[in-house]
Amino acid sequence: MAITESSGERRALRDPDVRLMLEVRAGNAAAFEELMLRYQNRVVTVLEHLVGSRDLAEDLAQEVFLRVYRSRQSYHPDAKFSTWLFTIVNNVASNALRTKRRRREITVGGGQSTGGESLDAMAAAPSGQMPARQLDKAEMREIIRVALGSLNERQRLAVLLCKFEEMSYAEIAEAMDLSPQAIKSLLARARVNLRQLLEPYLQHGQLPAAGRKAGDDRPGDAEGPPGPPATPPSPPT
Amino acid sequence: MSRELPSIETETPATPLEERLVAYLDGELDAQESQAVEELVSRDPQARETLERLERTWHLLDALPRSEVGDQFTQSTLEMVTVAAEDEARQQAARRPWRHARQWLLGLSGAVVAALAGYLAVAAWAPDPNRTLLEDLPVIEDLDEYRQIDDIEFLRLLHKEGLFLQEPGDEG
Repeated sequence: MAITESSGERRALRDPDVRLMLEVRAGNAAAFEELMLRYQNRVVTVLEHLVGSRDLAEDLAQEVFLRVYRSRQSYHPDAKFSTWLFTIVNNVASNALRTKRRRREITVGGGQSTGGESLDAMAAAPSGQMPARQLDKAEMREIIRVALGSLNERQRLAVLLCKFEEMSYAEIAEAMDLSPQAIKSLLARARVNLRQLLEPYLQHGQLPAAGRKAGDDRPGDAEGPPGPPATPPSPPT
Repeated sequence: MSRELPSIETETPATPLEERLVAYLDGELDAQESQAVEELVSRDPQARETLERLERTWHLLDALPRSEVGDQFTQSTLEMVTVAAEDEARQQAARRPWRHARQWLLGLSGAVVAALAGYLAVAAWAPDPNRTLLEDLPVIEDLDEYRQIDDIEFLRLLHKEGLFLQEPGDEG
């Protein structure tokens, strides 16, 4: 056991970010700033796709870096630094999403619907009321963003860590406190869901001609929930 | 006409084949498993089609925007951390006098215990010069009288009889 731990530590020490974090632990403020500069965009990117709001993502990223600093004395270099960091991201995001869900429940209970973005709603946006037309890059990007937002939180985080952070299943499992087998299943389900949601657009590269639903939010609403859309994507006609 | 989107949690899970194909695309299979997948897709058009579709939709995610924060974010985060560091330092400083007092008391107690132990050890093991004087006191008190006796053998006989063991003041 001791041999495994020390070899794990040796492996981790090859990671330059682990060495920076050890300097942070020793009280080096410049090392903390360097770590922040290396990771701030990556953390905000993952958080923004998780919570669906840039402002909230930045607030949560600040919370993440504050936790990194406060945890410096208990930090042990037994994994890659990014794995440890995204464990904190997962915890902070989970708390925020739980709070957000509770608030939404209260609002919905009060008779108001926050409304979610949906691929149908996007397809039915004013420009989409015309007959089928080619999607431009921005529209396609928005459709992909909404499709990602329609996954559940765990699938979404696993996809983001796999795609953006290029983390292995074992690293994602550690960051999300799940088994590698659970991550394998989670990612497979997420990929199948994404395929079902996006394939119609991919095949035809066109938005469907559909009527806009009353009350649907416009895409790009900064505070809009990234949760499942109210309506499914309509395949292009 | 739109219908409700089924919740992801209640959807049919991925098939074992889809799981294998996704793990293959993610580079999570060992050499033997990868070769098995490659052989499968080379002879099974349906498996090949599934693999290609999964790969195409996965590549679509490359179009997702990456966030870039401004200097303001970096600056305000570092300020937050600086404030947290100052709070920590203040709390530690507030705890320090108590820690010093506790260390001082511990040191003092240690010194007292060491002194007591030293005294007891010396008392137990070191020879006491007064003890000899006390033992010889009966002789010393009447030394002039004993000097008048010339015969040392007689004195030894008296000593054997226990005359010199009498406590001072014990008469007869």
